[in-house]
Amino acid sequence: MPVDSSIKKLLIVDDSKVSRMLIRTHILVQRPDWVIFEAVCGEDAIELADNERPDYCTMDINMPGISGTDAAERILSKYPLMKMVIFSANIQETHKNRARSFGSILVAKPVTEKSIALTLDYFTNSK
Amino acid sequence: MSNLSELHLDALAEIFSIGAGRAALSLSEIVGDEVHISVPSVQVINVEDINATTLSLNSGRFGAVSQYFSGPFNAEAVLLFTEEQALKIVSDMMGSQMSLEELAEFEHEAMCELGNIILNACLSAMADILHFTLESSLPNYRVASADEILHRLKENSNQPYVMVLHIDLAIEKRHTTGNLVFLLSSTSLTNLVIHINQFLGSIS
Repeated sequence: MPVDSSIKKLLIVDDSKVSRMLIRTHILVQRPDWVIFEAVCGEDAIELADNERPDYCTMDINMPGISGTDAAERILSKYPLMKMVIFSANIQETHKNRARSFGSILVAKPVTEKSIALTLDYFTNSK
Repeated sequence: MSNLSELHLDALAEIFSIGAGRAALSLSEIVGDEVHISVPSVQVINVEDINATTLSLNSGRFGAVSQYFSGPFNAEAVLLFTEEQALKIVSDMMGSQMSLEELAEFEHEAMCELGNIILNACLSAMADILHFTLESSLPNYRVASADEILHRLKENSNQPYVMVLHIDLAIEKRHTTGNLVFLLSSTSLTNLVIHINQFLGSIS
């Protein structure tokens, strides 16, 4: 059976279970048909990106193992069409600039309706 | 024995991580460089079980910034650095070629400001996310030995619980570690758990 290409896949990468739950819950309210995958570190995210080829990804920065920004850069270098949002509490200019340098944006935590709206807007409206 | 599950601790770690992010932004604006600040762990333990190892207090003297917070729960928050590390942070914050003697003059004021930034960032993140308001007192700074600090933490029997956050802080590539300790009464801990449950209930 052919796969329905209109169904989008989202990869949530965050070491905090609470954070993953929050992102998942808010996203599913807005996009109930999206398929969601979760990774708890950058290494797992890279593997899931290879296996599941998500359309979108939210990436935390401070996690055990490689940093979220390093993982994001590696994933985007392989899959440049994927839309990636760095979703982090670490909102210094350095990280905003780094996110921009590999074609992503940084959205500040906490996870709220407002920050999720920014994320969804970037996923669906940016070129 | 506290009533906090793994999910409660995960929620607290996430809340404090957001607080640390806010503190890092403020500090980076002060020092004009990138600041790495992270909260790798949160523990809630009985004050009786607190010791030099739990707080990573080795020998030497420590700089302690304390501040009282009140609201749905009341806590005394204490931020601890070794005195040597405290002076290095002050040096980074002042951003000049000051001598140690000159730095010592600013130590009290700069450490109060650092404590104010970190403590308020952590507590305001908690208040915003758990939807309540906390008032804070002015910060107080003192230098004390590990024994004096432990004695001080244990002397108030009305606050039998301590919440310990281990904080990594690096300014201008200089790595520093500190501990943030919250002293809580049983009622305050219960109220905190109620608010975390409400927060978790809204997302599960």
